[in-house]
Amino acid sequence: MNRALRDYLVFLQRCGRIAFVGDRRYYAWMGALTVLCLVGLNAYAKQLVHGLITTGMSDQVSWGVYIANFTFLVGVAAAAVMMVIPVYIYNNEELHDLVIFGELLAVAAILMCLAFVTVDLGRPDRFWHLIPGLGQLNFPASMLSWDVIVLNGYLLLNVHICGYLLYCRYRGRKPSKWFYIPFVFVAIGWAVSIHTVTAFLYVGLGGRPFWNSSIVGPRFLASAFTAGPALMILALQVVRRVTASAPALGSSGHAAAPGTSSARPATLDDLEKLAQHLPEFRPVPMEMRRKLLASTTILSVPAGATLLRQGDLDAHAFFVLEGEIVVKREESGRLRITRTIRPGGQFGEVSALNSTPRMATAIAEEPALILRVPVEDLRRLMQQRELGQVIHNRMTERLMITDRALLTLRGIVQVSMLINVFLLVNEVFKEFYSGDLHSESSKYLFLGLHGYHALVPWIWTAIVFNLVAMFLLVLPLSRSLKWLNLTCVLCITGIWIEKGMGLVIPGFIPTPLGQIVEYRPSVNETLVCIGIWAFGLLAYTVFLRMSVPILQGRLSRANEGRHLPAAGSEQRAAPARL
Amino acid sequence: MDIHPSADPQKTHRWTPLILRSLVVLFCGLAGAFLLNLWGRTAPLKLIPLVDRSFLDTATVRRSYADLVAAKDDLSDFDCYACHERKKPPVLRYDANHKLIVPQEHSDIVMGHGEQGRNNNCFNCHDETNLEQLLARDGRVVKFQDSPQLCGSCHGPTFEDWEAGAHGRISGYWDRKLGAFKRQACVNCHNPHSPKFPSRKPAPGPHLLRPPIAVPTETADAN
Amino acid sequence: MSLPEAPLNRDPSAPGADMSRRSFLRTSAVLASGLAALAASLSPLRDLDDYTSLDRFMQKYYKELTPQEMDRVLKRIANDVEREYGVRPHVRDLKPMDGVEFVYALNLTRCIGCRKCVHACVQENNQSRTPEIQYIRVLRMPHGSLDIEKAEHNYAPESVPEKGYFYMPVQCQQCKNPPCVKVCPVHATWQETDGITVVDYDWCIGCRYCEAACPYWARRFNFTKPSIPKERLNPDMAYLGNRPRRQGVMEKCHFCIQRTRVGRYPACLEVCPAGARKFGNILDPNSEVSYILRTKRVFIQLKEELGTSPRFFYYFDV
Repeated sequence: MNRALRDYLVFLQRCGRIAFVGDRRYYAWMGALTVLCLVGLNAYAKQLVHGLITTGMSDQVSWGVYIANFTFLVGVAAAAVMMVIPVYIYNNEELHDLVIFGELLAVAAILMCLAFVTVDLGRPDRFWHLIPGLGQLNFPASMLSWDVIVLNGYLLLNVHICGYLLYCRYRGRKPSKWFYIPFVFVAIGWAVSIHTVTAFLYVGLGGRPFWNSSIVGPRFLASAFTAGPALMILALQVVRRVTASAPALGSSGHAAAPGTSSARPATLDDLEKLAQHLPEFRPVPMEMRRKLLASTTILSVPAGATLLRQGDLDAHAFFVLEGEIVVKREESGRLRITRTIRPGGQFGEVSALNSTPRMATAIAEEPALILRVPVEDLRRLMQQRELGQVIHNRMTERLMITDRALLTLRGIVQVSMLINVFLLVNEVFKEFYSGDLHSESSKYLFLGLHGYHALVPWIWTAIVFNLVAMFLLVLPLSRSLKWLNLTCVLCITGIWIEKGMGLVIPGFIPTPLGQIVEYRPSVNETLVCIGIWAFGLLAYTVFLRMSVPILQGRLSRANEGRHLPAAGSEQRAAPARL
Repeated sequence: MDIHPSADPQKTHRWTPLILRSLVVLFCGLAGAFLLNLWGRTAPLKLIPLVDRSFLDTATVRRSYADLVAAKDDLSDFDCYACHERKKPPVLRYDANHKLIVPQEHSDIVMGHGEQGRNNNCFNCHDETNLEQLLARDGRVVKFQDSPQLCGSCHGPTFEDWEAGAHGRISGYWDRKLGAFKRQACVNCHNPHSPKFPSRKPAPGPHLLRPPIAVPTETADAN
Repeated sequence: MSLPEAPLNRDPSAPGADMSRRSFLRTSAVLASGLAALAASLSPLRDLDDYTSLDRFMQKYYKELTPQEMDRVLKRIANDVEREYGVRPHVRDLKPMDGVEFVYALNLTRCIGCRKCVHACVQENNQSRTPEIQYIRVLRMPHGSLDIEKAEHNYAPESVPEKGYFYMPVQCQQCKNPPCVKVCPVHATWQETDGITVVDYDWCIGCRYCEAACPYWARRFNFTKPSIPKERLNPDMAYLGNRPRRQGVMEKCHFCIQRTRVGRYPACLEVCPAGARKFGNILDPNSEVSYILRTKRVFIQLKEELGTSPRFFYYFDV
């Protein structure tokens, strides 16, 4: 038990340490975000002293950008988990590891939501009144009480799923399905619920006809599933851009010379060695092992040797007996490590089984001993139940952000934006065609009311952005990353405006007594918002900084505590920069 | 396999120390800016003047004869026979338009009871034979202290409402068991000679929390 | 450009063995200056005078306070008010009377729009003068319409009433089915047996959901520390009523709970020069409000269609 706790603490310590380690761009980015966070914190300190008078809110417009950002971010958090559906329900393997990035985005978004709600409270020192048991949580009558429960539950759910999967990957262990699959399915339903509950906050208010409409809930979900995956598309490309590319190996003169590898037929001892590292191989009967000896080969390769190349057509799979192999994939002109393979691991099996060109290049990191298996033998081996299962599961353990994955996300954004625009048309028709007294708020938003029109340019900008994005999404033009990125930016901005200010503020104008008092966020309020956004980006960057090396296999139990030898030693001595 | 031969990832980039140093400077500068409170100061609120105490006054519009008696105040206005002769009813004079001419001794009285001046006979309410009491149209004698009875002899529905407490002012205790209440007479609000409830200057209207962000572009007829 | 990486068997989180003293100092300098900036960012908290003492922080929900605890709380409130305003107040916790349900009736024929009720309420209930909090809002409506969009809030003629308009004061309607009570996440506002919807100012967290929910715009929020002039403080206070509130909590009309629960009329009614306001116990058939609801044929309950069942009845005489 103590051992397990110690191991976990070491894991946390390494994750914590790695957050402070990076290159100049990392320091510049984190430094800038920290500055913005501190500016925001300072602004909030002023708000604590003077009260919410430091914001632009009033009794007439009693919710402002804090709640607007909260509403938008709940949608992002809900949608980030919607990437989970293609993977777990439709078995889209390409998105598998990306699910973790989606859930980490959800965690960062929920943290931002909680921060926005906290800064909006008039008496945050009384937060404990919300804790059921300690305080007086008005559940189930108050939708805010539901929101408190579902948001915190969602946070715990995603922290558990990500933490568990990452820790298992760190330890090189296969995650136990029961510890995460049920939670994943709960998370899918929970994601829909957090956003529906947030919508119900508004829908349930009979005194505010702008919000008291059944279309608000569906619109929330549609706009969330547009903005969330759009954010994911952008975030994944950033991850792709900053994750490790191929370094020049063997820098201090120990350049590997390919060609000094040797091949020989495999022996029973070799297979026994494999069984040591791959326990599921043990049940393979001796008869089958003898049959394998005929077709399998042992390759002995030095560091730097290329074992397979991306794009080649080859019908072999490989198992590692000794040493370390790194697999790198070239995508959009960049070479990225997708994973690291240690003794007992496999590579090359996917393209061999599917008869497709190699998806990546495998290079020996250190001198290695590899077992090369023809694909027919591999198929026969996989008929062994346990072995087949482990080989199959490992086929998905790689960090690949393929363009196809991005295009799958584009598909989600496309459908959601179409639905979103359709719902907008519905809403506009209802408000303006019958033209009753209850549409004063919509008039204020779209046309201006009695000479007050502060929001009109904003909402029309949002509508133009959304429509342009919708057309771009429908056209094949947006399959190219450049146009897709523009489209995503348009989606996110358009939806942030229409779901944030475009939803919250018109609900208060005019007041239930017909008064019109407009709202503009104050300097202090804006600084607090910027601070919280910076905090969210900071959190997400830290999460990525911790999870990417784990998923690539570079931060794992196997290399715990392996420090560099002192300078001047003969071994590969990469000087410190990290 | 290295796509970027120019990148030498093994060495710390030469900009890294620069960036770290500038971060130190930035953080220290930020600390200074915070301590000096260089931005985001809340402008002090414009002090709203306190409302004039006259708007908090619960006194009635007028004081009735009963109030004057209770306060042992000056009753000279009601001492009719100081000038009039007993047993000699005063004579009313009208002009060419049948409008009552108010004698200059009673010039403070403005007649305006009833539209088109239809209640223009003083003795519709006053007893010409005994100016120290009032006379209802049905012959009932009404003392000045009981003047609501006189008003009620014509204004029946309103009188009923007044008796039930629905019309007029009541102050004190709604729970009659716990304390006294005072029901004001008609003449406490209505001048019997021109009973229309007087207009007055309203108290100041509401103030916004902060100045509006934009002036409306059209004359705002609502709000 | 990308994040460079070390050879794979190396702990990417560990500093290299040959990390120089210079780079160590640099890293520490960044951390130290960062912490200094963090501490400095919190420097405005020096001016915090509204801090919460431990017993204030731990104060229980109103409905869970024992009589002894309530006594302590009332004493603390009296001490705080005396320290702040120099006046020793009389703070009580008044319970609802049995067999009483309050109803307010307002005669729209009689209201002249003088706004004395607004200011009498402010005076009686110790509301903040700057920023201004007023529970009552008088609307000027054109003859013939109850369309609230046509209401004018800021009329300022030389004299009222003006021809062609009627005046409608609006305050908390103490609804039978209050949306504000439904939405409060911490039960800080609830309806008592005598019909008054009250707020426990020491329990409210200031989320302002009730303000968004109220269809009558009856609830007010303390955006900053309320300012009450010392010379106008009303020392006759109740816990759920007119004791001074703090920054960041909600408040609203409570039918002058410190007066009505001892049997007196509310301040707005007492000051109304035209006698337009009527108040009393609807369960008493002899009260004036019972008479009004029995005899007057046309009532207006504002926004009746929302199902809030307000206890405020507007009617016309003539």
